[in-house]
Amino acid sequence: MAVKGLKTKDQHIINLANIVNSPRSILYQKEDLLAYDCDGFTIHKHLPRAVVFPKNTEEVARLVKYCHEHDLPFLARGAGTGLSGGAIPLNGEVIISLVRMKKLLSVDLENRRAVVEPGFVNLKLTNSISDKGYYYAPDPSSQYCCTIGGNVAENAGGAHCLKYGVTTNHILGLEVVMPNGEIIEIGANGIPDAPGYDLLGLLTGSEGTLGIVTKITVRILKNPEAKQTVLAYFDKVADGSQAVSDIISAGIVPAALEMMDKTAIEGVEAAAFPVGHPKDIEAVLLIEVDGISAGIDEQINEILDVCKKRNVREVKVAQDEAERGRWWANRKTGFGAMGAISPDYLVQDGVIPRSKLPIVLERINQISEEYGLRISNIFHAGDGNLHPLVLFDARIPGETEKALAAGSACLQVCADVGGTITGEHGVGIEKREEMRFVFKDEEIIAQTDIREVFNPKNLLNAGKLFPTPGRCVEIKKEMKAASTAAN
Amino acid sequence: MVTADLVNELKMILPEERIGENHELDHPLGNSGKVKVCPETEEEISKLLNYANLNGKTISVVSGGTKRGFGGLSENNDLLLSLENYKGIVEHTVGDMTLTVKPGTSFKELQDYLAKHNQKIALDPAWPEDATIGGIIAANESGPKRLGYGSSRDAVIGLRVVYPDGQVIRAGGKVVKNVAGYDMNKLFIGSMGTLGVLSEVTLKLRPLPKYESLILLSFPEGKSDEMKSFAVKLLDSMLEPVSLELLSPSLSEKLTGEKLYTLVIAFEDVESSVHYQEDMVKKMKPFEAKLEIYKREKAQEFWNAFYKNGPNGARSSSTNETEASLKVGVVNLDVLEIVRESELLRDSHNLVVEAHGGLGHGLCQIHVRGAIGDVESAIKHLRESAEKNNGYAIVKHLPYSLRQKVNVWGDNPSYFFLLQGIKSKIDSNGIMNPRRFVGGI
Repeated sequence: MAVKGLKTKDQHIINLANIVNSPRSILYQKEDLLAYDCDGFTIHKHLPRAVVFPKNTEEVARLVKYCHEHDLPFLARGAGTGLSGGAIPLNGEVIISLVRMKKLLSVDLENRRAVVEPGFVNLKLTNSISDKGYYYAPDPSSQYCCTIGGNVAENAGGAHCLKYGVTTNHILGLEVVMPNGEIIEIGANGIPDAPGYDLLGLLTGSEGTLGIVTKITVRILKNPEAKQTVLAYFDKVADGSQAVSDIISAGIVPAALEMMDKTAIEGVEAAAFPVGHPKDIEAVLLIEVDGISAGIDEQINEILDVCKKRNVREVKVAQDEAERGRWWANRKTGFGAMGAISPDYLVQDGVIPRSKLPIVLERINQISEEYGLRISNIFHAGDGNLHPLVLFDARIPGETEKALAAGSACLQVCADVGGTITGEHGVGIEKREEMRFVFKDEEIIAQTDIREVFNPKNLLNAGKLFPTPGRCVEIKKEMKAASTAAN
Repeated sequence: MVTADLVNELKMILPEERIGENHELDHPLGNSGKVKVCPETEEEISKLLNYANLNGKTISVVSGGTKRGFGGLSENNDLLLSLENYKGIVEHTVGDMTLTVKPGTSFKELQDYLAKHNQKIALDPAWPEDATIGGIIAANESGPKRLGYGSSRDAVIGLRVVYPDGQVIRAGGKVVKNVAGYDMNKLFIGSMGTLGVLSEVTLKLRPLPKYESLILLSFPEGKSDEMKSFAVKLLDSMLEPVSLELLSPSLSEKLTGEKLYTLVIAFEDVESSVHYQEDMVKKMKPFEAKLEIYKREKAQEFWNAFYKNGPNGARSSSTNETEASLKVGVVNLDVLEIVRESELLRDSHNLVVEAHGGLGHGLCQIHVRGAIGDVESAIKHLRESAEKNNGYAIVKHLPYSLRQKVNVWGDNPSYFFLLQGIKSKIDSNGIMNPRRFVGGI
């Protein structure tokens, strides 16, 4: 049935509108498209050709099939909270927005699993089952608005993945629309270890380049019986770093172990959720232990001892859930809080072996001085996942470029000490070139080879994740193709 | 080419002492090779693969050999690449709790070493003395404690893989969180050696628990409803068992002396927490069930005996009977039904059956032994039961001759074309463990 009331002559848009069967399920005019020209990474912008809002898997499949057959670039988008530009329509893509596929399809508490549509918001899952004492573990800071589909694409982490793992450890099954429109189901019924290569693991974190996820079976967990949260203030950042290592060495696996440095503290205290951190300390640790009530006090006492040995100035345990909530709000809104002390900021996402923390923080300090830009650090210290925030003012000509270069330099430091360039935000557009810090050409080709199996026309989210092929990569690829053909 | 010529060619690229004609041909479990090569460096593996790839030579990969009966429709490939001498710890960063090892290292050796640092790999595979880390990862092994700690795919953070053309590709890294590029680790974990040779494995570690115990809760015949409601209640409580494994009566008899359905509920935490949880279970326990607690060493002894169950491809079988082992995956609580169905096979098929399954993760292992026809029929029966419960059954151990008749991996999934696509992209000449995996990949 032809949709009426469209103000366009673009036949593709008319045909796409017919698939979603409503003029209200497609955007195509410039003023409407502007909201979709970037995601949480705002430095690059590009307008999509259209944004369509399918209601179900079949519509997604038909849209994808149409794009595939007509060679139209396309990509999937959730809430658009991604921080690396994975949902930016670099090639004027048709954006398939999954926000209207937001149902919680089923919950099976006895078998600890739930099935959701990709547009279902992360925190809503926990809120839907918390009255029964259950929750969904991955908790990115944007969990109040980010979607589980987006979490799968990015293999999202969060503050509590130190103990509970990241998204990939909680995904049991996926329904996927392949880049040619075919629908497949992997991990049927949420049963683990389906025979064959681990496509669940491969798709999770593939940044929307291998397929579009339309249904997700996740593992849910029982709430821990008890939880205690500690704040520890250190005069020296080195002492704070050492305390992190000591806690882990003591055989404690905290649920979360977060750190903020002096500049970050200045930011969070100036923003919407101040909690009264002293302004003259170099580091604050936010430590959470959860589990069986009978064992918690012992672990908290051990943590307090460790902090004292490392010259902590003050250490306190949250007295109630309200206080705990305030501390976490202060931490989880930390990125946005930088807006209170800087017109713009760029967030980075390097990971390092935990033991290298002091030396890396020192190097980041030097980078800050070299570039003349303040860099604050908010990070998941327990698993070595740093978030250096480069503060800058985009109105000053050249400062954006300088901030990007400083961010990249921080990632180089992480790579140099044996770490990596992203722990949970993904590569997207932002860190494509930095992929070369950690992978050689052959290793990048090994990955694009896999993309070709799933997405041979490369119409789905092209230009993401991998560096623009250098001349040598292209030649190697040609040579490989030639030798394969010869065999 | 005759074998002697192949040996001579290999001697041109590798030290002579690494190569020998394989006199163990016609192994009852197959997956062998005419010439056995035991490389000692990654470079040697790379040279060997490159040679094989250019010359169309097929390779069987073996390490500890415990999984030699796991899949495979080739009795002998051209080469048997054994990783038995490619072993040892490459790097253990105690403070970072990461460990990098060569694939031929036995699991027990690793755990014994790590225990000195109060750390462990959070996996509990079968036959830890014989099984090597390379094989465990290649088969994505896990044990009853998967409920608490996850499986191989949750423990591995980095791999070095020698591709069939000899190139070394790194996946992941040495940090515990990493989303740079595709999660290529996942592709190789559980790939049964069909994509390349794992030349280095990096794992994240966990601290050794400060205390452990396990509760054995045995249920008399006919009390399966009580058992199920207890399990549901336990899973719905805030207790944190690291295993909730159901043993079939015959397996329970062997391990505990009680021929009853038995739940193995393990706790690992600080001592006060473990005791608290033991008390909670005592309160929750149904009247009919018999409860016994094994503490510390006794718990460890139980587990040591537990892991030495079922067929082991590395040790020649002392019996003339046919041995098989199945892995059945179902939705968590359906494990109860699968374990029960398995037990029934004892009488209906006149077999020795030992089965266990995890009520918190849905995976069952069923070992059967008896006359060849009965074993074959039991496999068919168990697969039907699994499928009736919307699950799957694969056969993890079976003699080579029987693997010709029984499709050990079951039917191909609907997305089989993707598995084929991956295989042909990475191993375009099909030299690595050909026909070992799903659908003859």
